[in-house]
Amino acid sequence: MSRDAGRQAGAVSRRKYLLASAAVGTAGLAGCSGDSGGDGGDGDGGDGGDGGDQSSNSMNSGSSGPATVTAEGSSTVYPISNKGSSYWNSNSPASDGEYWGANDESSVAGWDQIKTDQNIADYFAGLYGFETTGERSNPPFATRVALSHSGTGCEAVRDGLVDVGNSSGPITAELDISEEQRDENYVDHVVGRDGQPVFVSQEIYDAGVEQLTGDQIRGIYQGDVTNWSEVGGPDQEIYVVGRAEGSGTDTSFRLNMLGDADAPMDVDTRLGQNQQVQQVLQDNDNAIGYMALAFAGSGIQAIAIDFEGTVYRPDPDAENTIFDSEYPLNRDLHMYTRIDEETPDGTDVREAAFLNMFLTEFGQKTFVEDVNYITLPTSDIEAEREKLPDQA
Amino acid sequence: MSLTTARTDWRTSIERRLTKTREFVDDTEPAALGVVLVSMGSLLAAFVGFLLASPWTVVPLAGFLVATGYGWVRHQALVARAVTFAMTTVTLVTLGLIVVFIFAESIPAFRYETATVFGVSVPGLGMFAQTRWDAVSEPVRYSLLPMVHGTVLVTAIATLVAGPLGVAAALFIAEIAPPRVRELVKPGIEILAGIPSIVYGFIGFTVINPWASDAFALNGGSTYLFVGMVVGLMALPTVVSVAEDALTSVPDVMKDGSLALGATDWQSMTSITLPAAFSGVSAAVLLGVGRAIGETMAATVMLAGIPRISEPLLNVFYGYETLTSLIARGYGSANGVHESALFAAGVVLFVTVLCLSVASQYIEARMRRRLGGAE
Repeated sequence: MSRDAGRQAGAVSRRKYLLASAAVGTAGLAGCSGDSGGDGGDGDGGDGGDGGDQSSNSMNSGSSGPATVTAEGSSTVYPISNKGSSYWNSNSPASDGEYWGANDESSVAGWDQIKTDQNIADYFAGLYGFETTGERSNPPFATRVALSHSGTGCEAVRDGLVDVGNSSGPITAELDISEEQRDENYVDHVVGRDGQPVFVSQEIYDAGVEQLTGDQIRGIYQGDVTNWSEVGGPDQEIYVVGRAEGSGTDTSFRLNMLGDADAPMDVDTRLGQNQQVQQVLQDNDNAIGYMALAFAGSGIQAIAIDFEGTVYRPDPDAENTIFDSEYPLNRDLHMYTRIDEETPDGTDVREAAFLNMFLTEFGQKTFVEDVNYITLPTSDIEAEREKLPDQA
Repeated sequence: MSLTTARTDWRTSIERRLTKTREFVDDTEPAALGVVLVSMGSLLAAFVGFLLASPWTVVPLAGFLVATGYGWVRHQALVARAVTFAMTTVTLVTLGLIVVFIFAESIPAFRYETATVFGVSVPGLGMFAQTRWDAVSEPVRYSLLPMVHGTVLVTAIATLVAGPLGVAAALFIAEIAPPRVRELVKPGIEILAGIPSIVYGFIGFTVINPWASDAFALNGGSTYLFVGMVVGLMALPTVVSVAEDALTSVPDVMKDGSLALGATDWQSMTSITLPAAFSGVSAAVLLGVGRAIGETMAATVMLAGIPRISEPLLNVFYGYETLTSLIARGYGSANGVHESALFAAGVVLFVTVLCLSVASQYIEARMRRRLGGAE
């Protein structure tokens, strides 16, 4: 890799052209064919393997450097993915202090584990052997995140339309595939957790419904309980808000709350977006719904849930909280990459460089916790990093 | 006897056509003919390449452009004939491909919903013979009846709003209003058509639904009534401008004759102008209906989104789902047979709109025959 860097250092103006040719050259020297990205995992072939990967990346976009990492999918994963992408594309210098690095006034979370003088994208891309630019707003390669649905994101990564498919439900349910098929074709990168707390309208909360049991919620969502007075509230009909049929949120609620991914439901409305649920819960004085924690706001209240004797409260300081990984309504937020001939590991070095950013203390705090999602425990972070190819 | 005549006719007509073609070929310059043949041939080849998703499609396409460009300079009249013909064909072929595609995509759903009547299994019958739609939990069924019911209710209410309002407004603009008012009002109405439907839907979702929920003590505010009214407002500009055109195109001589016989303005309007323009006015209303059937955004955001049939059947204070909102809500998370069932909803919409359009053509032709206006 040092040879590589030496050849490129002197020619910043012709950087992009040289990156391509130097990478191809290195690959040739190391006796690697261009499609041998899998060698990146071997200790002795690391140098050549990286070169091979870079050359195939470069070839994807002609001679203009590595291709953009594209992602698409769930609106739930979008805030994490999009914030990460924005930070990446800004390539803020380490002296920034607010978005990256540290200065006299402030430093970003988890900085003591990083401590570099490189720009943000330069640093994370550099870990996988990409050439740095040293320029703000000019990352080694760009990232782009599109917003759609979990199912669409999984289909897009299946069909090779994007590099990373964001999904809030497991890909097995989204694409209706078996776990073997998943393991054969996709790598599942979990970047954070999302609680699906149950919310009620402010009026219902004020009338005393601050806690429900799992059985009561099941009853409400399966049509057995239709009046708030049956669960200790006012004598009022319940307006039951579900989520779009077959969506990631719908599937995981059925699975985690009703016990089966295709459990029957009896709801009064089905809404596609978190914002709509929030709005409907505010507009009605008798509604119950579930949505991503990130959309909590005024006029709605998260309630505590009693699952088999353990009460999970919406209060971060309580003994058991809805932020715990034990909370049954929590679900993993996935970023899937596809295994194909070019990347038998499933994750190429561009994707790995980008995904690795989320699997640091800095990334978890900035991209997950700050947008109201639940961060991964250390052991999970380590397990996720194991899925990425070796760093350069 | 008649059969042989028909066959002879048929044969003569082919022979006549052949002779005509031969004469045409003889009369035309061979160079011009060659250019047209090359241009059309390469367009056809490009189409075949497109169907095969071949990377070489660009070659015949470039050939078409070059041949047509050259022909345009050298033999403009003949090339223009061929190009306009080709453009018409392209439009029709595009329509055809879309139809084939949605039908093909919906086949698995029709197969899944096969039901047996009198020992004969009919694919797709299950979609209309029972009312359960549940794409997730057992038994998984894809009945389109609830959505057809919703679409019918919304369209009926929208037509009740847009029809009378639209025709009255058109009559006012065309016959009653002074020119200055007309110049102000007509563009105003057409601006209505320029407001994106999501804006109407958003207003409906944030203002009308909460209000309806309170005012009528409903559990949630989704109602076919207000969705229908909003959609009716959206269809209004279409109805007004088409009906107004039809009314203004009634020849002045007809109105003058009526006035000369001593009829009042209002009498001439109701007994001469409106009947004479009836085909155009009904085409306007049918176009409005078509717009209402196809309206998606407003219905999607305002309706509850659960496929169910209201009880009693005509209770418009429920608002469940229409065919379009079913597709809009479901496309993101549907796969397999569920996705195919959404295409089936598209097929039903397509057939309905096709019938409407045929009906409006028929009414127009009938009125023209009866009044003898055009021919």
